[in-house]
Amino acid sequence: MPLFKSFSSFYEKSKNKEIVAGLSLISIAVLLNLVFGYFAMIFAFYLSFFKWDYIGEMQFVGLKNFAIVLRDLSRGLHGSYYLIAPFYTGLKNILIYTAIVVPVQTFLAIVLASFANQKIKGQQFFKVSYFLPATTSSVIISLIFIWLFMKNGFINYVFDLTVPGFQPIDWLNDKRYILLAISMVAIWGTSGHFMVSFLAAMQAIPKELYEAAMLDGAGPIRRFFFITIPMLRPMIVYVVVMGLIGALQMFDLAWVMAGASGGPGGAGYTVALDIYNEAFTRIRPGVAAAKSWFLFAIIFTTTYIFQKKYGRALR
Amino acid sequence: MTPKERENLIKKAWILITYVVLITFALVYLTPFIRSIIASFMNWAQASRYPPEWIPNPFTLENYEKLFRLELFPRWIRNTALYAGLIIAGNILFSTMAGYAFARLRFPGRDAIFSALLSLMMIPMFVTLVPNYIIIYKLGLIDNIFGLALLGLTNVSSIFLMRQYFMSLSNEIFEAARLDGCGPIKSFFFIALPLARPALGAVAVYQFLGSWNAFIGPLIFLRSPENFTLPVGLSFAFQRAMWVEYTPIIAGSIVASAPTIILFLLLNKYLIRGIVITGGKG
Repeated sequence: MPLFKSFSSFYEKSKNKEIVAGLSLISIAVLLNLVFGYFAMIFAFYLSFFKWDYIGEMQFVGLKNFAIVLRDLSRGLHGSYYLIAPFYTGLKNILIYTAIVVPVQTFLAIVLASFANQKIKGQQFFKVSYFLPATTSSVIISLIFIWLFMKNGFINYVFDLTVPGFQPIDWLNDKRYILLAISMVAIWGTSGHFMVSFLAAMQAIPKELYEAAMLDGAGPIRRFFFITIPMLRPMIVYVVVMGLIGALQMFDLAWVMAGASGGPGGAGYTVALDIYNEAFTRIRPGVAAAKSWFLFAIIFTTTYIFQKKYGRALR
Repeated sequence: MTPKERENLIKKAWILITYVVLITFALVYLTPFIRSIIASFMNWAQASRYPPEWIPNPFTLENYEKLFRLELFPRWIRNTALYAGLIIAGNILFSTMAGYAFARLRFPGRDAIFSALLSLMMIPMFVTLVPNYIIIYKLGLIDNIFGLALLGLTNVSSIFLMRQYFMSLSNEIFEAARLDGCGPIKSFFFIALPLARPALGAVAVYQFLGSWNAFIGPLIFLRSPENFTLPVGLSFAFQRAMWVEYTPIIAGSIVASAPTIILFLLLNKYLIRGIVITGGKG
């Protein structure tokens, strides 16, 4: 190891060992992040102005890739068929999906956390069972739910037992229901994870607040709305922001449950799937890069606006 | 009824409601797992029967046999283990080195570099995905677990976690070592690393969960079925309809999720606490 030897003699001789040690210890991590983070980002920006097929010459096309995206959006707004306006289809679906998933999972997580945040036996058991889906691969979860969502499957059976007059639904082959089915899986998969975050935040709320409220005669519901929710606000913002970032980039569930082309009528198509298809099926990396910047802008503005309005996300 | 009795009754009713809600949701979260484990021992005719049946009859291991008869399946397990191993090793080594340096050493540009790394967390992976594909392609490492692992050898959140941990250690022991003539690199290996065992464990577990379950990276960077990881392989098996029945896919899902589930069940106390502290995934 001559390299190691020369480094160690350089290190031993150096005047300020701390600087040499510091810079060398961070060097590999920084180098990797520089290449796969910053360089890749700059490259993505550069790429969005070029037409390319990974092999031949890169051809400068100016803003044409962004124009393709905008034309796609305007076609979609004028009611074109979903295959002609894939980005619009993906965007529309992902916004609906986000509007369902983020509020429901956040609300469910708070409710479950406040029920579990009492002196009860088996709290750890409940935490573990709610958290279990979060440790399982989203692909595995999707594969299991494909089976559960079949027309003669378990989910129809449960609805049939609990909802009067329920007609069995072919969830994943019906374009009216596929996005709802994916949303249900997403909520199932992530709410337990956020519940644990809320539970930790709740345990940090001073007990005196509740005691004072009880002396004033506030019941559990009033205490929930007037103490728990306001005290949890920073955590709620954090969970919503994390939820938005995850939901707007949803890929795995749609890929497995709807397929790369988005299932029946493109009803399960997402922006992330569209970026994938642009880069690896239609072989237009420049357009894929342009679309990824649109996705970045959407994520950035929604999380920014939300934090501007409700305060910064704090853990 | 005296007010005292009334209060007691309300309290009892409230506890009852609490348990009903908590148990209902425990069923919602656990039933898919339980149902899959049971169904993995059924033949497809029984697993797809309506209304659903709960006792395998006949009890069969046929699904698991079918799974392992497919030569690819053991390879997928091996590939996933190799990928997870590389990612864990890389993060333990490089993220810990960087976390230590950012926390305990003074050098020019330290805080600027650290915040530059942190701001990378804001960039969605889809922005850097295509350029990284091209970089790995130019390196000739497409369809190679090592090429895929290269992207994940360090992780900003592991660096962050290790930095926080090293910052929380008391200064005295490092100061004492320095007075005894122990340089910064020596004190990294002989003081910081042995003290960091709990944090290293946390990094290892999170990286294990992340890499074992990873999908989009392996999907894009691995091309041929014999190099797939379990999530990519199983979704491939499903899409190519490798089996007429669905039960082998269910059995495969059980096998693929068993390591993460068992690990979680063993370590649940630490994991749940840790995830609260670090903010969870990614």
